[in-house]
Amino acid sequence: MESSRQIEDRAAAWLAKRDSGQWSEDDERELQAWLSAATAHTVAFIRLETVWGEARRLKALGAGVPRGVVPPPNRWHSSSALERRDEPAPLRSRLSLRSWPTRAVAAGLVLAVATALTWYVASSRFYYRTPVGGLASVPMSDGSNVTLNTDSAIRLVVNDRIRGVELERGEAFFEVAKDAHRPFVVTAGNKRVIAVGTKFSVRRAGDDVQVLVTEGKVRLEDDSLAAAAREIAGTAEPATSAAQSGVDQTSHPSAVRAGDGGMLLIAGAVAHAGESGVLVQNVPLMEVDDHLTWRSGYLTFRETPLADAITEFNRYNERQIVIEDPAVAGIRISGKFRSTRFEAFVRLLEQGFPIRAQYGDGRILLDDAHDSGGREATSK
Amino acid sequence: MDAPLGAWFAREILIHEAALVRYLHRHWSKRDEIHDLRQEIYVRIYEAAAKSKPTSPKSFLFVTARNLMADRVRRNRIVSIESVGDIGDLNVLVDEVSPERRLDARQELKRLARAFDQLPPKCRDVVWLRRVDEISQKEVATRLGISERTVESHVLKGMKLLADMFLSGHTLKEIAELSRDDKTEFAKGKSGRGKQQTD
Repeated sequence: MESSRQIEDRAAAWLAKRDSGQWSEDDERELQAWLSAATAHTVAFIRLETVWGEARRLKALGAGVPRGVVPPPNRWHSSSALERRDEPAPLRSRLSLRSWPTRAVAAGLVLAVATALTWYVASSRFYYRTPVGGLASVPMSDGSNVTLNTDSAIRLVVNDRIRGVELERGEAFFEVAKDAHRPFVVTAGNKRVIAVGTKFSVRRAGDDVQVLVTEGKVRLEDDSLAAAAREIAGTAEPATSAAQSGVDQTSHPSAVRAGDGGMLLIAGAVAHAGESGVLVQNVPLMEVDDHLTWRSGYLTFRETPLADAITEFNRYNERQIVIEDPAVAGIRISGKFRSTRFEAFVRLLEQGFPIRAQYGDGRILLDDAHDSGGREATSK
Repeated sequence: MDAPLGAWFAREILIHEAALVRYLHRHWSKRDEIHDLRQEIYVRIYEAAAKSKPTSPKSFLFVTARNLMADRVRRNRIVSIESVGDIGDLNVLVDEVSPERRLDARQELKRLARAFDQLPPKCRDVVWLRRVDEISQKEVATRLGISERTVESHVLKGMKLLADMFLSGHTLKEIAELSRDDKTEFAKGKSGRGKQQTD
C-alpha cells in the first residue's frame, strides 16, 4: 500500500507538472483519474495546492523587487511591506530586467562546489537597466543595495569570492554590506572602484568616471594608469602597503595614492577620473549629498550655472532643453527640483528670470526674453 | 475532484492543521505514524463532508482525530503504555486545543514569509522564481545554471516543506527530525516509539 508520504510525493509531482507549462489534455485526464482513485490522493493534492496557491501571495512582499530577483531572507519581517503601507510604492517599478545568459562555466561551478554561497554564482548574473527618467533600487543577495539613476545599466556578478557590479552606463549609488572576505568591486570601463563596507556612487560617461564617497573608503583603480605605473616602476607595489604609508595624505586629505594606479578615496571625496588622470576634490559631506538627491527623485543645485543644470535635467528626460542664448547659460540657479518634472522647472525659470521658453518638437528652447521683446521678469 | 468541496476543505479543515498536528503529537507517541494519521483523518472528513458537511467543522475534525486514534489503539494488539494512558485524555475541549485562528491577512502573510524564509536557499530561490515571479521552469533552469529536473525537484520539495511549515506549523528542523524518524522506523521494519515531542 502507498504510504502517506508516497502519496504526498505523487501529489506534489502532479501539481508541479501542472504548473510547468507543459500540460496536455491527456495529463489532465490522468490527473483526474489519479485523484478519483483514492480520497487520500484528493486530500493530499488539495493540501499542497492550497499552500502552493498561498505562496503566490508572497508577491506582496516582493513589492519593489524586480522580477527575477529573489529577495534576501529575513529582510521583510520588519520592512514596510509587512507593516501598514501609508506611502505609495517607490518609483522602483520603472525597471526592466533582462536575463544574463548563464554560461556553461556557472553551471559547472554549481555542480563542482556545493556550498550555499556558490549558489549565487549562478543565481545573481542579472542585468538591470533603467529608462530615461527611471529610478530603481536593486537589493543584492549579500544585503548590499544598488540604486540606479536615470538611463543606467548594471550587471551583477556575485559569488563566494567577489561581489561584482559592472556599470555599463549611467550612475548608481552603492550601499555595501560589510563582508571582509568578498570585496565589492564596481567596474566602469577601465576603472574599478573597490569597497569593503561603505556608501558611494559611481557615474559613468564613456571612460569618464565620477566617484562620490559618502561613507567609509573605497579604492579607485584605473587600468590605463596602472599599466603606465608598471612600465615605470617595473613591478607594482601591493596597493595596501602604499595606502598605509599615507603618501600625499597631507596634500589630499580625501585621497591617498595607493600605488598600482590605485587611489584611496575617503568620505567626502569627489573624484573625476578621465583619460588624462584623476582629479580629486574634498568637499563637505553636505555637498556630496547634494549630488545624491537623485536617489529620491530630486536634483539639487547651488549657484549652479544654468547650462550645467540643464545638462543634468536632460539626463532624466527624453525631451531635451536647449539653451539658445549664451547669456542665459551663465545664469546661476539654486534649489531642489523634481528630476522628471522639467516643465515645472522651465516654468519656474520663466517666472524668475528673463527667460522665454519655446516648446518645439522633442525639445524646449530657452531664449533671452529681453532680446525677443518678451515680457518683463526680475533678474537675479 | 469537487472544487467547492476542496475549497471548503481548505478553508474549514486545513486551517486547523497546526492544532491538529499538535494534538496528535500530544496523544500519539509514535511520531512516525503521525503523517499517516493526519492523512487518514483528512480522508474520513473529506468523505463524510462529500455526503453532508458538518455544522461545526473544527469539532468534527478533532472528534474524528480522537476516534481514529481510539480505533487504532483497539486494532493494534501491541500498544505502548503511553498511548493507552493518553486515550483517556482524548476528550479534551476542542476550543482548548485549537484557539480559533483569526489572523488578519497581514499576519497570515507574515507566517507565510517566515515559512518561506526557512526553505533551504536553493529551494527558496526556485520557489520564488517559479511561483512568485512565474518564470518558466526552463528559464529558471537557464538562469540558475541547473537542469530543469533539478528545478522541478526543488519545486516539489518546496511545496511539501511549505505545507509542513505553513499548515502544520513545524520548523524546518522539526520536519527534518520527523522525516528521519520515518526513515529509521521504516528501515528497522517495526514501529518503535518516537522521542517525546517538544511542544
